[in-house]
Amino acid sequence: MRQRMGHVAKLLIGLWLAGVAVAMFLVVPQYEGLGNAGRIMIMHVPTAWVSVLAFAVSASFSGLYLWKGRVAYDDYALAAAESGFLFTALATVTGMIFSQVVWGVYWNWDPRQTSIFVLLLIYAALFALRSALEDGQRRRQLSAVYSLFAFVTVPFLIFVAPRLANSTLHPNCAFIAGSQCSGVNLSVGRIGLLGDRKIQLLSLEQQGEVVTAQVQVSEPGLRGEHLLTPSYDLASGKMVSRPEFPGLKYQLGLEKVDLATKSVLLNIEAPGTGLLDNRITLFTFLASITGFTALFVWMLTLRATLLSVQWALAQREGTQA
Amino acid sequence: MNTFLEAGVAIYVALAVALAVWGGVFLYLWRIDRMAQALKQELERDRARTLAEGEQRPVTPRATVTRVGAVGRETVEK
Repeated sequence: MRQRMGHVAKLLIGLWLAGVAVAMFLVVPQYEGLGNAGRIMIMHVPTAWVSVLAFAVSASFSGLYLWKGRVAYDDYALAAAESGFLFTALATVTGMIFSQVVWGVYWNWDPRQTSIFVLLLIYAALFALRSALEDGQRRRQLSAVYSLFAFVTVPFLIFVAPRLANSTLHPNCAFIAGSQCSGVNLSVGRIGLLGDRKIQLLSLEQQGEVVTAQVQVSEPGLRGEHLLTPSYDLASGKMVSRPEFPGLKYQLGLEKVDLATKSVLLNIEAPGTGLLDNRITLFTFLASITGFTALFVWMLTLRATLLSVQWALAQREGTQA
Repeated sequence: MNTFLEAGVAIYVALAVALAVWGGVFLYLWRIDRMAQALKQELERDRARTLAEGEQRPVTPRATVTRVGAVGRETVEK
């Protein structure tokens, strides 16, 4: 009976994620400016979340192993770490695809990309450590300690480091309802950084109630310079014109103007802002998180079972340390 | 231009590719899962058989000798 329930649950995972894929491509609406590229968020964000969950599970089982000393806990810790690595790689690849469409490059060492790359290296080192130690007991103990230390870096690399850096193009603030990009305050003649673009406010022109800023935008590595002219309506307090960054889907917005000090607040305006405000998108997004979490649980138990079978076989043959 | 890359068709092609990849991953996981379960059951049966055979065998006399020296204790099972 239990086995049959297990089979049904696994079949449901298969159908559920297939349904999420269909909804992602055919049901979820397109996002203004991003077109079909925005759909990848339905997969990208849940895989990143599941990777954090997997690393947390790995650390928990590592702690349990150090406490209780049961080999099964080590199997689960390793299985969770491997799944976490796989989901992180998936989040990285889907992020790279989005990056190519929106930023024009697959990889530009954005703080978010750099931190996830470091995270992948940290967990790759765990697997290298495990394969380097032949003594089973020592391997399990050392990797459990390493796994606990590795997990300490996860909240920092996923949540803190990318937010510490002002120069990220990762749409933290664009896609999460209620959050905001802080932007950059510039007075005439001053230089600042928005994303990975250097910007300089050249001048301000007022025509009636509309103020237009002349902003020189330099591409990364100063490969090229462009003049953008975002504008702002003083009467309504709203942006009028939001030109796109050359080669990107992101726009340059003039959010505030202070004519007395000749200073402005310039910001990145990402298309798709408030993406999850749409109910269909929100439900598909939640269904995706649920599906990927269930997939992780299946992968975790499957891999742990394989490891325990491998251990039992090796013990029977007398080859396991 | 390639028919598969036309705006109206490309999204269905992308969906078909995504579903094919997921189908492949799912079948692979399903197969491995069935094999792992079968192997686990086989090992459990094997262990139960060994235990049952062990119970039927005459019990071998066992003794534990503890030597107490100046440095410490040493326990030897025979």
